[in-house]
Amino acid sequence: MADAMTGAATRPTAMRSGRPPMFRFAGTYLVLILGAAVAIVPFLYTVSVSLMNLTEANGGAWLPSTPQWRNYIQAWNQANFSLYFWNSVRIAAITVAGEIVFCTLAAYAFARMEFWGKNLLFSLLLATLMLPEAIIWVPNFITVSWLGRVGPIPWINNWPALTIPFMASAFSIFLLRQFFMQVPNDLWDSAQIDGAGHLRYLLRVIIPLSKAALMTLVLFSFIGAWNALAWPILVTTTPDWRPITYGFFAFIDEAGAQFHLQMAGSVITMTPVIILYFFTQKTFIEGIATSGLKG
Amino acid sequence: MTKTPDSIPAAGWRRLFVGRQGRKLREALLAYLFLTPAFLVVGLFGLFPLVFAAFMSTHRGLNRIPGTFDGLGNYIQAIGDLTYFLGFWGVVILIVLALRAIARSAIKAKEKNSPFWQWAIPGIGFGVMAAATLGWIIRLLPLLLDIPNQMRGANNTPENFRRLLGEALTSPQAMEMMWLMLAGLGIGALGLAVLTRNPNLRRHQGNFAAPFTFATIMLALAGAIGWLTWAELQKNIADSFTNGGGLDIWSQMILISAGFLLLWLSWRLWRSASHRDSMLSVVLRLGGAAALMLGAWVLIAEAPRVIAQGDARWWYSLLATFYYSLGTIPPQLIVALVLAVLLFQEIRGRSFFRVIYFLPYIAPFVGTAAVFKIIFSSRPTAPINSILGFFGIPPLAWINEPAGILNLLTPGVQLPAWSAGPSLALVVIMIYGVWTFFGFNTVIFLAGLGNIPREMYEAAAIDGAGRWPQFRHITLPLLSPTIYFLTLYSVIGTFKAFNHIYVLRTGAALGTTDTASVVIFQTFQRDTRYGYASALAILLLLVIIVLTVVNNRIAERRVHYG
Repeated sequence: MADAMTGAATRPTAMRSGRPPMFRFAGTYLVLILGAAVAIVPFLYTVSVSLMNLTEANGGAWLPSTPQWRNYIQAWNQANFSLYFWNSVRIAAITVAGEIVFCTLAAYAFARMEFWGKNLLFSLLLATLMLPEAIIWVPNFITVSWLGRVGPIPWINNWPALTIPFMASAFSIFLLRQFFMQVPNDLWDSAQIDGAGHLRYLLRVIIPLSKAALMTLVLFSFIGAWNALAWPILVTTTPDWRPITYGFFAFIDEAGAQFHLQMAGSVITMTPVIILYFFTQKTFIEGIATSGLKG
Repeated sequence: MTKTPDSIPAAGWRRLFVGRQGRKLREALLAYLFLTPAFLVVGLFGLFPLVFAAFMSTHRGLNRIPGTFDGLGNYIQAIGDLTYFLGFWGVVILIVLALRAIARSAIKAKEKNSPFWQWAIPGIGFGVMAAATLGWIIRLLPLLLDIPNQMRGANNTPENFRRLLGEALTSPQAMEMMWLMLAGLGIGALGLAVLTRNPNLRRHQGNFAAPFTFATIMLALAGAIGWLTWAELQKNIADSFTNGGGLDIWSQMILISAGFLLLWLSWRLWRSASHRDSMLSVVLRLGGAAALMLGAWVLIAEAPRVIAQGDARWWYSLLATFYYSLGTIPPQLIVALVLAVLLFQEIRGRSFFRVIYFLPYIAPFVGTAAVFKIIFSSRPTAPINSILGFFGIPPLAWINEPAGILNLLTPGVQLPAWSAGPSLALVVIMIYGVWTFFGFNTVIFLAGLGNIPREMYEAAAIDGAGRWPQFRHITLPLLSPTIYFLTLYSVIGTFKAFNHIYVLRTGAALGTTDTASVVIFQTFQRDTRYGYASALAILLLLVIIVLTVVNNRIAERRVHYG
């Protein structure tokens, strides 16, 4: 798989072409650059508008005359981004921590252990992938409020409602299982000779060998937590635990026609994810390709 | 050496965990331990909601949990008499599935020369247990949901909660189901024990309990659906007697069923025509075409009457979802395939392009949707309108335009809403969808291209095949599993889509961009009609299941697994 993504894959057709090498790919590059432009222009436009003043932003200018950096400060203060930013970080961290533990254990059981009902449980798990989010809104909202009312801590407007339902997902377990199954069997045999049980084998051998997979999982769940919108709208009625996407969504209405502030808020919302993506893009894209194709 | 009486049972227990059998048992127990946390979460927030939603969908009320029992009333409100049609054929399909599972494994058992019908006892036992578990959940739910109401104020103590929980669990209606569960488990375990100990059976190595379990669960579900449908039907008949109105359920039922049967028949005829000799094939194809037209005509003639009974907003949201699917999936797959094939050459900057293409998919939806809202805004100075203005085209309302695109293209003729195509506002959302997902598809296509053996191209090149024949006869067929996966993934994805559509929604678009998920969300969050929202969500799930089955059927014939 990795070889398919990164290795130099030669297409024989390219070699057969008789045109001079300079122009051989001219048409290809034209299309590829066009595609790249379409992908990136909205982002550039966002940054551009975020630095305009009010007249420029509403007047349809393409570039700001002088960059207005204080738009960011104004948007930050006006939308209470400090709180929302911190909330999203907290929510993402708790979700990711839970997900790593729960999904690693479950994925290991599915990948390496034999037990009665394995196929049944695994197909039940995969069936949840087909469920639309819409079907879980009502039941989960009721469940979460119920748990909060009868239990020791409230769930609505608090971290449990925002994190616990996402601490195990079929997608993550499936992704990790795919990676765990690629670990050669010989390692398990030699670990058994050394007297290691399943738990020690998982901690000492499998996890160190699957750092890339765990990294992918961390990225996926971090971005998932950062992007969530519908569920936070349902379970946060106060700003205490409201994540940044919901905060920004409310700010779009609040800022109204002040497009420069809207776009400054948009940049603030997107930056952490995009930075994370640029630092880890290779792991990320390969993770998507692996999990996607094998599905 | 004397043994204390205590140590004998302990040794007996320990014997379970030694030896080959013991190791297997130990491993299984450890595996269940590993699975427990994940399955607690997935079970409570991923699987249980399905049962809970089905339960809620039979209740009505504003901001009330669970509300009052109303049978299939919510479904009648959403899709009118089509409910009876779905109920009847749902029962038929479940029974067919049950019988087919049994028939298939009976054949398999015969091939293996293995006894079969004995397995019915444990199989049905476990099936009864599973069905009784579902029944237990449904009986327990209203009692559990009532607990917070009894814990108001000073009663809100853990002791009180434990007492109320105990009362709910030991209530007669829950205990009834509990006994049924235990009885099923007992019969199942006993039957299994007898069968696996029988030396004649053990040799054949076949376990055929599963199809019976499956069939029992299907029949129980069929019974529940049939009972609900029948109760609703009787209510409807009683109503129409008192109101003196006519009853068009039967005619509708027969006409719609006939329509679908004709469509199915035409598909069968068409398929059987493809491997017959020419003369018969022509006749079969003609018959197929005739059945297709007749069936389609019956359905189209009947549709307005049925749709008029249902919730217009819901029907329109389904139509909008179909438009959104049709408008995003083909373009994004074609763009992605072209880009992937171009990228899959020995060129500089491959990874650079990949990173850029993937960016729209990874960026938070709310952020990018907000930009699109501005780029496609109705102001004359907005980017897209100013580009149009550069070419002398008057500005359009884009994201605020509720009119269908066919109406905009043909200003002279005023088409009715249902035939005017997606609104321009929905088209903007489609553009956003394509923009977001083409990079994702490109990455998957690239991985699929990497799996095609290079020798195939080399062989084709030696045979003198050019670029296009190579693409047509090697790349496309060998990429078909990827194309199939992406199609299925995108169909399910577009039917689930919510976040960006909700953000790109404007009041001026008059709800023409509200897809099924958006309508469900608003029914729940804004209108607090929990039962109705659940019923709509179940209907959406049915649509997704049907689409998946159809997609699989098409793929069976078209996908080439090299």
